[in-house]
Amino acid sequence: MSNDEQRPSPGGNRVRRASREVNALGYLSEGFLQGISLIFSMNEEVWSAVSATLRLSGLSMAVTLLIGVPLGFLLGYCSFPGRGVLRVVVDALLSIPTVVVGLLVYAFISNRGPLGSWQLLFTIPGMAVGQTILALPIVLSLTASAVENTDHRLRSTLLTLGARRWGLLFSTLREARHQILLAALTAYGRVTAEVGVSMMLGGNIKWHTRTITTAITLETGKGEFSAGIALGILLLAFSLLLNGALSFLRRRDAA
Amino acid sequence: MTPPLYEVRDLVCSYQGKKVLGIERLDIAADGPTAFVGHNGSGKSTLFRALAFLLKPESGSLTFLGRPTEGHEELLRRDVTMLLQDPYLLRRSVFENVAYGLRARGERRGIEDRVAEVLEMVGLSADFAGREWYQLSGGESRRVSLASRLVLRTKALLLDEPTANVDEENGFLIAEAVKNAWLRWGVVPLVASHDLPWLDEVTDRRVHMKRGRIVEAEVETDFLL
Repeated sequence: MSNDEQRPSPGGNRVRRASREVNALGYLSEGFLQGISLIFSMNEEVWSAVSATLRLSGLSMAVTLLIGVPLGFLLGYCSFPGRGVLRVVVDALLSIPTVVVGLLVYAFISNRGPLGSWQLLFTIPGMAVGQTILALPIVLSLTASAVENTDHRLRSTLLTLGARRWGLLFSTLREARHQILLAALTAYGRVTAEVGVSMMLGGNIKWHTRTITTAITLETGKGEFSAGIALGILLLAFSLLLNGALSFLRRRDAA
Repeated sequence: MTPPLYEVRDLVCSYQGKKVLGIERLDIAADGPTAFVGHNGSGKSTLFRALAFLLKPESGSLTFLGRPTEGHEELLRRDVTMLLQDPYLLRRSVFENVAYGLRARGERRGIEDRVAEVLEMVGLSADFAGREWYQLSGGESRRVSLASRLVLRTKALLLDEPTANVDEENGFLIAEAVKNAWLRWGVVPLVASHDLPWLDEVTDRRVHMKRGRIVEAEVETDFLL
């Protein structure tokens, strides 16, 4: 065999590369179309993951708001010793990694953990514990900031109109309502998009604790791009809906 | 005999350790409007905040219609209201803003009529009640703020620079509303302002202030009537 025959020709490489690119594009577009078809054909696995995501995020957000809004309000409204340190701690917790939260909660709720008898591991409520820990600093910090950033004339205005203690409190909360809603939406975005906590505490169990994000991780690992793309489209739709609401509120607040 | 609206004795107010107000003796009559004039930093706003029970004096005494005020500030704030120099509207509709003080006082009946009445007093039509706070011009915002005080029919109405940053027409409407509140309901206006021609419209009675002190108090009574 001559040297010329052994050496691949440059023209042949280009053809092979172009062919690979065409195949890849076809593969992606096929995955996309199959994904759309899965959504509209009401594929049970896809909608089971959506249902688990909604139940999980609903539960964790309910607990987060119930605890976070009143505490965040007090953190922004009241003066007490150690308030500055507490603000720093809460702000630092904003960037806590999801896997660290997953690990800590796992240690507590696993069978050998102090709360093992509650049988929370690999359940939606168990996952909600982890997501609440993730979302709570967001709601606390942003609610406190919302209250701190209310107009400096607000208190005097309310007093001159005759508001008393509870009136001052509720009216301040009402003035900050759009910012507090922003805090809630930001936290909701964080819990619906996270993977670490859901994977570690939920175990990604089909029909039970498999959420959109854990399902995407699994399907991509298996090479099932169409299911991953279908779930990805739904997650993006959630995200767009949230961002639309956020930007509407920001515009309204800035008016 | 009606006691003075306020009796101020040895009143001292400080800000960040610096004395900004020191009034030995001042009686403010309840039988008509009084204007407080003086340069910036003369202590008008500080005095008004103390008279509106928004600021706790460092020392001295203050009586309101013959009653001592110390320890009763929250209750007395129902009889006194103040339009701030830079008024703030709650992030609500005009109606909600004007009705706020009435609701804070536990009133439930006739709110719509009273709101419409004071909006008319400040030269705003009834359809303004449905507007949101961000849909108003600067002059309209100030008049809505004034309406939210007038509707309360308090015994004293403190106005801190009510015509700052408003045009002549809005200034005229504010003066008319303040005079009407006094004549109709006996709401005693106390006004701090640099706008001397505007003050002439409201009262001839002047208290001159300088560097946190009263330098001259005129007691002319030929106002309005």
